[in-house]
Amino acid sequence: MDKNIARRKIVGATFFMFLGIALFIASNIVDELRVYQGATVAVYVVAISSIILLTGYSGQISLGHGALMAVGAYAAVLSRNYWNFPIPLTFAVAVLAAALFGALLGMAAGRLSGPYLAGTTLALAVGLPSLANQFKILGGEEGLTYDVGFPPLSLGQDFTQYKWFFWIAALAALAITWVIFNILGSRYGRQWRALRSNPTAAALLGVHVARSKVLAFTISSGIAGLAGALMSMTISLVTPSAFPLSLSFAIVTGAVLAGVTLLTGSIVGAVVLVAIPEVTAALATHLGGSEKVTSNLPGLMMSTLLILSVLFFPNGPQLHRRKTRKS
Amino acid sequence: MSRIINTLLIGISGGSIYSLMSLALVLVWRSTRVVNFAQAGQAILSTYIGYVVVTHTDNYWLAFPVALLSGALIGALVDIFLIRILARRANSGPVAAIAPVIATLGLLGLIRAIVGMIWGGDLRRFKLPVTNHGFTFGHTTIPFAPINLLIVVTTVIVMLIFSVIFQRTNLGLALRASAFSPEIARLAGVRVDLTRTIGWAFAGAAGAIAGVLVTPTNYLSPNSLDLLLVSGFVAAVIGGLESLIGAAVGGLVLGISLAFVLEYISSSLAFPVAFVVLMAVLLIKPAGLFGGKRVRSA
Amino acid sequence: MFALRRTKRGVLASATLAVSALALSAIPAQAFSVHAETGVTATQIKLGITIPLTGSAAPGYSKIPSAMQAYFNYVNDNGGVYGRKISLVVKDDAYLPTLAVAKTNELILKDKVFAVVGALGTANNKAVAKSVNLGRRGIPDLFLNTGYSGFADAKKYPTTFSLFPSYIMEAKIMGQYIKENFAGKKLGLIYQDDDFGTDALVGFKQAGVKFDVSVPYASGSQSAQSAQGWIGKLKAAGAEVVVMFGVTTASGAALATAAAMAYKAQWILGSVGGDATTLKAVGVPAYVLTGAMGASFLPAPTDTTDEYVKFFQGINTKYNGDAVFDNNVLVAMNTAMMTVQALRAGGKNLTHASVMSALENSGSSFASASLSPINYASGVHVGYSGYWFGTYNSAGELKPNGGAYSVYTTDSGAGAIVKSTFKRPALPANGLPTN
Repeated sequence: MDKNIARRKIVGATFFMFLGIALFIASNIVDELRVYQGATVAVYVVAISSIILLTGYSGQISLGHGALMAVGAYAAVLSRNYWNFPIPLTFAVAVLAAALFGALLGMAAGRLSGPYLAGTTLALAVGLPSLANQFKILGGEEGLTYDVGFPPLSLGQDFTQYKWFFWIAALAALAITWVIFNILGSRYGRQWRALRSNPTAAALLGVHVARSKVLAFTISSGIAGLAGALMSMTISLVTPSAFPLSLSFAIVTGAVLAGVTLLTGSIVGAVVLVAIPEVTAALATHLGGSEKVTSNLPGLMMSTLLILSVLFFPNGPQLHRRKTRKS
Repeated sequence: MSRIINTLLIGISGGSIYSLMSLALVLVWRSTRVVNFAQAGQAILSTYIGYVVVTHTDNYWLAFPVALLSGALIGALVDIFLIRILARRANSGPVAAIAPVIATLGLLGLIRAIVGMIWGGDLRRFKLPVTNHGFTFGHTTIPFAPINLLIVVTTVIVMLIFSVIFQRTNLGLALRASAFSPEIARLAGVRVDLTRTIGWAFAGAAGAIAGVLVTPTNYLSPNSLDLLLVSGFVAAVIGGLESLIGAAVGGLVLGISLAFVLEYISSSLAFPVAFVVLMAVLLIKPAGLFGGKRVRSA
Repeated sequence: MFALRRTKRGVLASATLAVSALALSAIPAQAFSVHAETGVTATQIKLGITIPLTGSAAPGYSKIPSAMQAYFNYVNDNGGVYGRKISLVVKDDAYLPTLAVAKTNELILKDKVFAVVGALGTANNKAVAKSVNLGRRGIPDLFLNTGYSGFADAKKYPTTFSLFPSYIMEAKIMGQYIKENFAGKKLGLIYQDDDFGTDALVGFKQAGVKFDVSVPYASGSQSAQSAQGWIGKLKAAGAEVVVMFGVTTASGAALATAAAMAYKAQWILGSVGGDATTLKAVGVPAYVLTGAMGASFLPAPTDTTDEYVKFFQGINTKYNGDAVFDNNVLVAMNTAMMTVQALRAGGKNLTHASVMSALENSGSSFASASLSPINYASGVHVGYSGYWFGTYNSAGELKPNGGAYSVYTTDSGAGAIVKSTFKRPALPANGLPTN
């Protein structure tokens, strides 16, 4: 078992290295747009890893993580606009607020399983963002501005705003991934894996099932909150329309595409989520056709890809040979 | 007092539509243990087919069975070409629960894109079978119209038909058995795959009915049933995914609560309230109102 | 021992990525401000627009881009703007502020447009202004498809040029009309609960109009079901005159539901949601619309005696496929004509600065279908400033009250409401501007 985990870590580290080098090379050719997209990828990495932790490891399903991202984002914005917190502190507020919310949700939903949990989180995803219209302080449909400020002058005149976003988001993604990596390797991670495959056996072994599940929910929500704050940073805006149901679906999709149990897969999933719509849209304009066709072609291709990948790679890209044990 | 009654009526007619969609979802759940997010997609495609019939023949009552049959056919096809393969491949690991969710989500997007390509995204009007002018008693007009009555009556009929099928017929027994334990059912001689396909066909038909009934009161577009999917799912969970009656009751509970919130408080609180109602029900009964005492972990 | 090894690998990974990020940042990136001639070549001028093509607010407004392109194509066929052909990049934002931000970013970073023209939606434009900040980037933001009064603030939005009269102006003029013609009646109001609607509230307050019942609705929440709640409240308050200040799908839902609930009132539709063709398409029965009132700053789209309307109808037939000519098409083509004149005025050496100073200097004399004067001047980015009132007849045509167009103008502040004596410039020969 040690050898498997060690091997997995080697692959993971190599993956990071290759990605770093690829970014380095690509940055010589790409322009502002790609850097901006890179920031979005980083946001998705954080969001997807929160799902991997929750679903892949503790076996709980959530179709409402978009709402948790919203909680984090609004908390960050409010703490900045009303208490003038510096940006890193607003991120911390985002994590704490979302984690608190997640803890409450986890406790309430503790007895729910499968589709019931899915339904609850779905209702949350649709219900929570619209609260912004009810309470004026949340800015309504128009939203609140989240201004992280300009990059410091020490970085030079040519350092664009988008690059600043990318740097912050990438650093945050890196840091949080490392944190999750370690949590998953700790005894909590082992507890979650145990209770995912067989809650009864896990309980017999001394795992406090309910508490373990709530912990997973709490941490996962906190991570989602950070993703929300980061996402709002990239558009300098927090509004309900930034957290539609499709966002919750997208990150679950990304997690599944990535292989729900593989943390490094979060990068794959994130890149796919950002790249595929781009690629398919470009392809659609290339193929041409009536407006009805071109505007729906990206959606068609994306959905087909999704179905095919779930059908043929239900456990995500297998980066290494591993016998699929029933655990 | 009349305001309360009016709101109640609005809630009942709205809730009946949720009930229909939730019935479709429960049907699929009970026969295949899959939450079918593509239900909205299947329903909208069937509705568009019905729309084509109505615009060409100007006869709603011809379009209704056509839509219903197409819904059943589409449901069956989805099962054969998607779910069957999925059931074989992803039946272990943490993905087993989510793979169907993602697959059906993908299918929803696929159907929506196809519908958009064929008919475009602009809103269309679907002819009303009966008027949506509220019934008038003397001077007062209540917000309950013949179309609403049609919706409620249809919901009840559909629910009764499917309940009878599930509880009283061999087919129903086969459906429940295949869902609960495919291996044992197979051993008992049940043709599991065929049975499951029939279950999906039933659900597809129910979804199509919901589509053609609700669309005349709004308008038709590739996305017009999406919100209904969410409401239908919430209603299904409220009622407990195991019971068809629960599905119907869940729809009414949701519909009536939403109507009261919309009328007395504010329209932006509709979905938060739906969430609160759902949570309230599940906190007391984690398997929904009519779910069994034991919570089956899916 | 094992734990140490694991941590080491994590550190290795982190270090690698940190180094690459640092290296990435050390490479000089593109300059922050976009080069002045982006979007302009010897043969082409690229413009961009964000507009709802899908979603709950799309009906009606989705016709705008193709109508604009139709007029642009006519101009292109006749020499373009000093030999440059105009192309319009259209992005669908589904009336959602976040999508508007994302798509506008695409227009600037990916499509590299010269200017944004006709971007639709109050909340959307506000979000774009806060987030993308076209002003800071020096990119012209012309002739927004919104009447929010704030956008005329040239200091806050230095590159933005409003075109439509503001909602404050519309509400003030509407308010005066209500006071003169419906004194003593119970008044009701349905409005969109964001800056679009609250702008109107300011105007009504200025005019001294008090509503007996006000029903806000959240943008995107309009539907037949929520409209039942609105009508219920209006009915309960006994409103006899109802002002509907919302997007077309909202006024459609309100009117259709009022018909179904047998609620009769004198409806006054705001210009944003008053297009008769779209209303009928979303299910408003003709009899409900008959007798309702509406406001506009352009001649009625059905008024074939008007030379601009006649000309645009011709363009619509020749260049816009099978689109039905309605108010949305008229508004779009009018904006397109203004755009062409702005580009021409910017000169052969077209830059961001040249276009904007041309608008300030000569924009007020441009030819346009509007019956209201244009107010551009140095430091003033207010476009039109007036409205006329009409009543819908049984054919869905908006006929001016009193028989002839009588336009009233005002400002977005405490200025008086004045009957206008403005005579608009004649249509240029063949509809091709020669400014």
